[in-house]
Parts: sequence; C-alpha cells; structure tokens
Amino acid sequence: MYIIIVGGGRLGYYLTKALLDEGHEVLIVEKNPTFCQIINDELGSVCVRGDGCEAATLADIGTARADMFIAVTGDDEDNLVACQVAKHKFNVPRTTARVRNPQNETIFKKLGIDVTVSSTNIILESIKEEVPTHPLTHLLTIRDQGLEIVEVKIPPDATTIGKPVKELSLPPGSRLALIIPKERKPRLPTSDTILRDGDRVIAVTTPESEEALRAVLRGA
Amino acid sequence: MEFHKILVPVIGSQADEETIKLACRLARQDKSEVRAIYIITMTRDLPLDAESEAEIQKAEDTLNHIETVAEQENYRIDTDVLQAREAGPTIVDEAVEREVDLILIGVVYKRRFGEFSLGEVAPYVLKNAPCRVILYHQYSDESAV
Amino acid sequence: MKVVIMGCGRVGAQLAGLLDTDGHSVTILDTDAYSFRRLPSTFSGTALVGNGLNEEVLKKAGIEEADAFVALTQGDNRNVMASQIAKHIFNVPRVVCRIYDPLRQELYSTLGVEAFSPTTIFAQMLREKLES
Repeated sequence: MYIIIVGGGRLGYYLTKALLDEGHEVLIVEKNPTFCQIINDELGSVCVRGDGCEAATLADIGTARADMFIAVTGDDEDNLVACQVAKHKFNVPRTTARVRNPQNETIFKKLGIDVTVSSTNIILESIKEEVPTHPLTHLLTIRDQGLEIVEVKIPPDATTIGKPVKELSLPPGSRLALIIPKERKPRLPTSDTILRDGDRVIAVTTPESEEALRAVLRGA
Repeated sequence: MEFHKILVPVIGSQADEETIKLACRLARQDKSEVRAIYIITMTRDLPLDAESEAEIQKAEDTLNHIETVAEQENYRIDTDVLQAREAGPTIVDEAVEREVDLILIGVVYKRRFGEFSLGEVAPYVLKNAPCRVILYHQYSDESAV
Repeated sequence: MKVVIMGCGRVGAQLAGLLDTDGHSVTILDTDAYSFRRLPSTFSGTALVGNGLNEEVLKKAGIEEADAFVALTQGDNRNVMASQIAKHIFNVPRVVCRIYDPLRQELYSTLGVEAFSPTTIFAQMLREKLES
C-alpha cells in the first residue's frame, strides 16, 4: 500500500517507522526542514518538505495513487483540510485525521473524514477501563457497521441480580456475548443464565442503544 | 592510494566522459573494477517499479556511450541501470552493498537562482559516503563567467 | 441581518464597522482582545474574545440565529474549518470565507464554501491597472 502521512512530529515519525516495517510504501510531508532532515537521516529518504494542505505539493508526491492518507499534525484545522484536499481533489479512498480537541471528532465525521483518532479520547477510555466502578466501557468500535462491543459491570445494588437473561428486555441491536463472573471462568450466556453481583457482561450493541443496554443490565 | 572497486554514477552530462576516463586511468594501476551506474529517479506520482520507455532509452544510450569511451581507454567496465526515488541515497547504498572503495562523481558548472550550485546529489554523497570520494568538476566557459 | 465575523484584523474590523454603520447586528470574534482596538470607536456591535473553531464560543456569538458568517483569520485552514462548522453544523444561510491560497480556494468553492482569494483578486487587479 502507498500511505501518505502529513506531519513529521513524534506521532508521524513512529507511525512511519511501524508502517515501513510492515512493508508499505510510506511518505511523510513535513513543513519544518530540520524535522525532514532528521527523519530522512534515520528512516531513509521518506520525507519531503512541504505543506500537506497544498494541492500542488500533494500532486507532486502522487497523492492520486495513495491508498491511505493520514494527517497527524498538531493542528486540527490543518489535519481537516489536508484530508479534505486528499479526498476531494485526489480521491484517496481512506483518510484519517488526528483530532486534538475531542469536540472536533463529530465535526470531522460530518465533514467526510473517514476515520478520526483522538488521543484525548483514547487516554480517557483506557483510564475508564482502569476505574472498576465505571458502568460501561467501550472495548471496540466497528465504525462502518455502526456497532460496538462494550463491557458492563453488574454492581452490588443492581436489581437484575438473581434474574435470568431471558427476563431482560434488551434494546434493539443488542446481544450479550459473554459473561465473566468474579473468580470463575467466563461463560457464554443462554436465556437461563442468572446474573450475579460483580459479573462483567460483554455485549454487542449500537451507539444509540448503549445507554438503554446499561440501564437494562443494571436494572435502573 | 589503492582502489579496488570504483563506482561512477553517470547522468548523461558533459562531465561523464572525463569522469569515466579518469576512473579507467585510476583503475588500471591496480586492475580495479569500474562500475558505471545510471539511476532513473522515479517521481512520487508513479510507483517505484513503473517503466518509462524514454528514461530507459536515455539510460541505455548514456551507458553505451560510456562503454565506448572506456573501450577507447582500453579498459573493461561494468554498467548497470538502477531505479530509485533519489539518486544520493542510492549511490551510497550501492557503495555500501558492493564494498566500493572509491566513488567518482562528475559535476558540471551550474547556476541556480543566479548562484553557483553543486546540486543535491554530490553534497549528499560527500556527506554520507562510506568510502573515499573524488569530485570531478567539468570546466566550461560558463564557469569563467 | 445578523452577522458573525471571525477574526478582527484590518479587514474584519473594517467590515464590522461598515456593516454596523449600515444598521446590521454584528458580532466579531477574535482570540486576542488587543485586536479589537482596530474597531471604529462608533462600533455598536458585540466584540467577543474566543476561538471561532469552538462550538460553544460560536453559540455564545449567536451563530444559531445568524444570517451570515464571515471567516477572516490569518489562517486559511482555520477559516475553512470555521466556515464548514457554520455551514454544516449550524446551517447558517450565508457563509463567506477568505482563503489566501488560490488552489485551496478553488477546491473549497467546488465543495460549496463561498470562498474568496485576495491573492487572485489583487494580482488580477494589478494586472488590469498595469495593462490599461
């Protein structure tokens, strides 16, 4: 695959290194000549100096034949514009933008960016996973299908404790995939499986049903 | 100074002939290998393995001419065409891989934006070569200006 | 009409003054309060410190009821992003944007952002002057 990365900061550098190791053709576009020099010295000639938002620069580096375009500069607006130029002028099939301000994630989606990555959100999620009392954890998002895999912990005060799964009225699009009881082996839930205090329930759901699913499982 | 493997990058410029003659003369003493390479630099808008008829033709013409010059010097040389994104790193890689002990580059007098310019390849090779480098600077009338 | 202007540079301040004189309701945004010194002393609209890329700031500036939004910061990309937020998130009926880079201006014009490039306009104007 031919992958273009805009922004040769730390993120761009390590991303390039990883993708090169996987055998892809990778090119970084970076404004700062000193950064370009460092990257080229360390990774071989994979960095060109230029503005990744400029159509002329993108034409020179063959954006039209790129399979993937990733913008990871420190400025959200630059990442947005770089991806939009790549998408609309050069028809790159997949564009990914780094988002510094988590608020911008929805805006970027609305404006046609295929994938957004927000380090703030990623860090928040992993912190939430570490906090045992948090009611619902996102494990995986399957964006193009509108599905997500979540984990819900059954708290001691849940009114569903002692009830079988068939008595829960799960919201549309939601399915329980696995139940991990405290100090016992995980099991596949059947309609007769009884929920217990401290169970961790892994479920497939949709972003719309997520809250309803949490409420049903905890009996709120 | 002894040289056993001499690498001569050629690009079809006026400096090629004299550079290869010089390489042959330096090589004769120690019966060194001389390898002339022509590097086709592929722009990024095309895949690295894209084929450009015109470029290949130019590479072959240049190397044929270089071989004739070497014959006139009564010396046998190897030639090769390489395809890469950038010439500088390719020359250095080639020198490392083949354990070359001398790179001989020819440059012609050039001006860029009104100033004398050595281009990008020669300075890169001078800076990064793993061996000795001799730079042959072709004199031209323009140099005297 | 109600107009929100982002960026109180020379152009932004002058436009704000002109629209204000014409009797429009103007709110002008800038990240630096010092920029508001450029506004005419007679300016009767609202000047707000804040980043026009932030939805909360835009709401505070009254973008939800605005008839027009103008992006006039120094950064092309900031202008482009703010304009798209105004147009696609807040459905402002008229959105106008300054983009210095002619190529980017061309692209965003085709994407439905009403964009002007001072670079192109000024170069053409100078050519006409010189050739006449």
